[in-house]
Amino acid sequence: MSALAVLGGLRDTLLRMLPHRAPTGLRPIGRPGADAAVLVTGNYALTVRRLQRALAGRDVWLLVADSRGINVWCAAGGGHFTHHDVIAAVRAARLSERVEGRELVLPQLSATGVERRRIEEATGFRVRWGPAQADDLGAFLDRGRRVVARERAVRFPLRARLEMALIWGWPAALLSAAVAAGLGGWRTGAAVAVAVLASVTGLYAAVPRLPLRGWRRWPLFALFGVGGIGLGTLALAALGGIEGRSWAVLAVAALVADAALAVDFEGTTPWFVSSFAAAGHARIELEPERCSGAAECVQVCPRGVLAMDGGRRQVTITDPDACIRCAACIVQCPQDALRFRFDDGSVVEADTIRRTRLNLLGRRSVEVDGLRGPGA
Amino acid sequence: MASFVWMRLLESTAERYDRGIELLSRGRIGSVHRRLAELATADAVGARVLDLGCGTGGVALACAARGARVVGIDANAAMLEVARAKPTPDAAAAPVAWLELDAMELEDRFPPASFDAVASCLAFSDMAEDTQAYVLEVARTRLVAGGRLLIADEVVPEPAPRRVLHALRRWPLALLTYLLTQTTTRPVRALPARIREAGFVEVVEERLWGDAFCIVRARAPGGEGRAGAAP
Repeated sequence: MSALAVLGGLRDTLLRMLPHRAPTGLRPIGRPGADAAVLVTGNYALTVRRLQRALAGRDVWLLVADSRGINVWCAAGGGHFTHHDVIAAVRAARLSERVEGRELVLPQLSATGVERRRIEEATGFRVRWGPAQADDLGAFLDRGRRVVARERAVRFPLRARLEMALIWGWPAALLSAAVAAGLGGWRTGAAVAVAVLASVTGLYAAVPRLPLRGWRRWPLFALFGVGGIGLGTLALAALGGIEGRSWAVLAVAALVADAALAVDFEGTTPWFVSSFAAAGHARIELEPERCSGAAECVQVCPRGVLAMDGGRRQVTITDPDACIRCAACIVQCPQDALRFRFDDGSVVEADTIRRTRLNLLGRRSVEVDGLRGPGA
Repeated sequence: MASFVWMRLLESTAERYDRGIELLSRGRIGSVHRRLAELATADAVGARVLDLGCGTGGVALACAARGARVVGIDANAAMLEVARAKPTPDAAAAPVAWLELDAMELEDRFPPASFDAVASCLAFSDMAEDTQAYVLEVARTRLVAGGRLLIADEVVPEPAPRRVLHALRRWPLALLTYLLTQTTTRPVRALPARIREAGFVEVVEERLWGDAFCIVRARAPGGEGRAGAAP
């Protein structure tokens, strides 16, 4: 890998919270023939970079559709990456003239906003859901474009968690360090940066082992904050800057930075529901009489909430607590058999969810008479 | 799911779009909408106008105010929602038909020769060049012979000193707009040439605002009689 590619990757990683557009269009990876697989993705620079790395040595087409420079999952959830964009990409690339196959592989996580059937109707291409993670694409292709159950679950391994710690940690550390440096000198600023980065790293590392969601996250955040302050104190002592005022600034700045992250720590992970999600208190509901056993919901659920009951040829909700309200299952169900039910008994049906997208739920109720999500 | 805080910012983009574009155009975008409407409705009373990539509906509503029968299409449901919530400019005007449709899906919904004019403001700068070419070709077939194409968009000034001055002026505004709306615009390049390549005739480019914005007008081939009516 060239130094330029490494620097580009670092820039895309550190700034990954901001949109960053890659060029759209059909690009070859290796030397794909007319019958090679066509993998669709969004034009988030970091994703395109990582896909090219994950697919190195293979011969496939990568069709980059316009997701406004946002990663596929967030963009699809926010209505910024939809079937319209995939249809547009297929046509702009004149795909039907350039490939013989009539199949598109879509990223599974786009299912929350990209409607499979609309693409098939408009383009004549059959849509197949790929795995949730780019790392599994190689195995998926080797298997003849088949996903196995474990590849549908979104993973959050230590490497990804440490990356997330860095992404959230560095702006928090920089900001709090700047304020602390202004109040107590550069040594205090440096010690605050150490404290914040240490506590944030510890928290993300501990995600699978500690209940870092709901009200229980607050004492745990306080605990990690105190740990960070301990390391910050050591740093302050090593720099020779320890005295009452600088230590007080260190403690307050580090705790404020940790508290800011705690507000929506869940939302920074792929496993938990955001504190701000309008559908956060909804639960997924299945109407068994409508379910035809197509099991598309099972194919797109990134948390293994649903399973096919082979005996009854119907889907069942097996793990509702794991649901992150991404609504992919509701959007893709051909029978509209799934919906959200809120604590007050109100329901939001599939048609509404398809129009409003997940994170607009409850805000855009103008076009939907009588169906208002909470917070409308 | 990755940061809902981030998504909260995204979700309100549409509501803040008008404010962002107003800021970026320094309050002049409304005059462009009215100019496009004037050109789109110049040939006939009750012209059928398509606002391509209508966003929050500026051009479509200006056309409706001039008595046109307007269809506004945009792939962004949230933007359409903002457009729908705006009042029809004139009680006598026909309501605009707002459709959630990408410019690339025009052919799925409208048969050939469905419109007397196709207008578009700040939509082409949001498209890749291959997309622009495809959309222009389809737009030509959806226009009647001699029908009007009107595109307003941001361009880069041609003389080098102006280009530098423009970049210096644009940066702070673009940054502010980005911070408010998480969107930005990119100037279109070689639009008149692309419009000619797509088979349009009588392509005329009008530059505004220190050479940094353009209105390109053109006609679908055929209908020579109508072409004489150009203002």
